[in-house]
Amino acid sequence: MGAWMNGSLQGYILVALLLFIIGLATVMLRRTLLMQFMGVELMLNAANVALLAFARFRGGDVTGTVFYLFILGVAACEAAIGLALVIALFRHRKTTDADRADSLRQ
Amino acid sequence: MFLVFALITIIGALAMFRQKNVIVAGLCMVLTFFGVAGLFLMLSNPVAAALQIIVYSGAIMVLVLFTIMLLNSHEEEPAIQARPIQRWVGASLIAVFGAFAFYIVMGSKALADIDKASRPIAGMNLVRVGEEIFRHYLLGFEIIGLLLLSAMVGAVALTKKEL
Repeated sequence: MGAWMNGSLQGYILVALLLFIIGLATVMLRRTLLMQFMGVELMLNAANVALLAFARFRGGDVTGTVFYLFILGVAACEAAIGLALVIALFRHRKTTDADRADSLRQ
Repeated sequence: MFLVFALITIIGALAMFRQKNVIVAGLCMVLTFFGVAGLFLMLSNPVAAALQIIVYSGAIMVLVLFTIMLLNSHEEEPAIQARPIQRWVGASLIAVFGAFAFYIVMGSKALADIDKASRPIAGMNLVRVGEEIFRHYLLGFEIIGLLLLSAMVGAVALTKKEL
């Protein structure tokens, strides 16, 4: 059993990596815009896990938590704008499928 | 404990990826966020864990689920055309990227060194975070406030039919 299994830095980085890969796969392989949006949120969370893991293992750095707060604010903005765009698209095209909304003209 | 929370996180994310029903996928996402909050607790950072639960599982996922129910698009629509080549190329690129990154993380000397040099720390508390923000990052704090305001106005402007 490696040290990464009981909470070393490598373990946290591996979890962040797996989260990022799954989020990337969701964005690239699923067609529903709402699923793709959740994939983006997943990738953002992976970045947060890596950031706070490094902050902890560098002696409990406060700056990591401060930047986590800022990322949280940006994620909230991104959620509001992204969902507003999905709703606006649905109003015009009656679809949430990315493949059905691939032309700029109506 | 680390392994439990890591498994909750990864299993929630995988279930979200595999799930056909978008609402159930959103609930799997909430499970993932709770797992991540547990990981933050294991990193002795209860501030981040509380914020994760309040903002992500509380605010953002409620917004997403609300939008799904508003648009009434629970199921994925059938594909217009199957795109097997793009899907396979995408999947294999992700797999190559993942394998390469895994190899780098497991073989990294610097990561192991940081790990060895670390010692037990006191848990994070709100007092320290607040002092750091208002002493050194006041400008960023104000910009985040402005950004949230503009995002709110932008969301209303985008979704409103006639302004």
